[in-house]
Amino acid sequence: MTDPEDYTNLDRIEMTVRELLTEMKDTSEVMVDLAYASLMYNSEDMAEKVTELEKEMDDLKYAIRFKVLMSSRTKQDAKQLSGLLQVASAADKISDAAADIVDLLSLPLEKRPFVSAMLHESGEKIRATRIRPESSMVGYTIGKLGVEASTGCRIIALKSRQGWIYDPEDDVKIRAGDDIIIRGTEDGYIQLMEYAAGRKPWEFPEVSEDEEETTPQEEAASINDKEEESE
Amino acid sequence: MNRLEEILLESKDISEFMVDLAYSSLIYDNEEIAEEVVFMAERMEGLSTRIQELAVEIGTSKPEEIARIVVAIRLQASIMSIAEAAKSIADVVLRGLGKHPVLALSIKESETTISLAKIEEGSVLSGKTFQETRLSTQCGMFVIAIKRDREYIFGPGRNTKMEAGDIMIARGPEEGVAYFKDLADGTEKDLSI
Repeated sequence: MTDPEDYTNLDRIEMTVRELLTEMKDTSEVMVDLAYASLMYNSEDMAEKVTELEKEMDDLKYAIRFKVLMSSRTKQDAKQLSGLLQVASAADKISDAAADIVDLLSLPLEKRPFVSAMLHESGEKIRATRIRPESSMVGYTIGKLGVEASTGCRIIALKSRQGWIYDPEDDVKIRAGDDIIIRGTEDGYIQLMEYAAGRKPWEFPEVSEDEEETTPQEEAASINDKEEESE
Repeated sequence: MNRLEEILLESKDISEFMVDLAYSSLIYDNEEIAEEVVFMAERMEGLSTRIQELAVEIGTSKPEEIARIVVAIRLQASIMSIAEAAKSIADVVLRGLGKHPVLALSIKESETTISLAKIEEGSVLSGKTFQETRLSTQCGMFVIAIKRDREYIFGPGRNTKMEAGDIMIARGPEEGVAYFKDLADGTEKDLSI
């Protein structure tokens, strides 16, 4: 900060502490996933995105410190807020580690052939798959599908005709021919593959009190549920 | 994979798992989970030392491997930073500083949550594989690790068998947690809901 009197130029200052911390946690996690994926797929693009996110994390870090310090009124406040700041700095530390991981990309490829093979064996899988035209995911946003809630997999990158989107937001629409890079358990990944290939209709998360109507796919999903047993 | 790569991969899996566990210790303000993170941090120290020993060994006997070893050591350093960060989150809980409501709320805001459940004798899951029970399809919870005795199985496959006494650590939507826990402790016998 150049002018200590003027805090309004601090980025992200409009966000609440809660929003800032959520954002820091999510960003740090996606950075680690992208960092490993960049090594697996030898992708400079992904590495760049990690570096970009690292800068965002710095903004978030200063914003949360500012907000927390401003909101501390009593000793009790200070005590509990110190824990909050510690968690924020842990998220920041994780993001720094992710940035260090992508630095490995600058080393010659022949010196790290084992890294990609090794990461393939990881407990949490990072995998790429393509959305087939017959997939029932086509035309829906990531948020409407509830990809993470349904499959436990997070879409960490998506390649559409317009190019790559890293850490896609909920409002990004899935289209036929998109390539997605996901992170999740083997079980979740296998399910997602079935959906992406159109071998299985998407099962939408139950929307209870909301006014959203049932889609034909949801109905199809409940009907088809029984048939899978016999596979 | 050679021994060095195996240990490196194990550290990576543990580090990611530590982060998941550390955040869930915050959500539930649960010291037991936080202690587990600290226990894993100790184990990470051991793995880190082992990697350094192996690196020296390989570097001495096969100088042509040194460039690769540098990559492995640098990766290990980043993995250790992630593990330390997880430990520092768990530390917040252990110091009793994890009670600020904003903490749990901001972490819960993610789409999914982490849940732990122990498989009791008489659970319908006991003795069956993930494929047989279709556990993730049934309750929406994806098991990221199983703690069996003192050991962890990371990223269990479709053919991994669940056993009574296993502690399953799963990620999934909040709505799936109750059914998942009921299946594990045997109160829910119906796997076909």
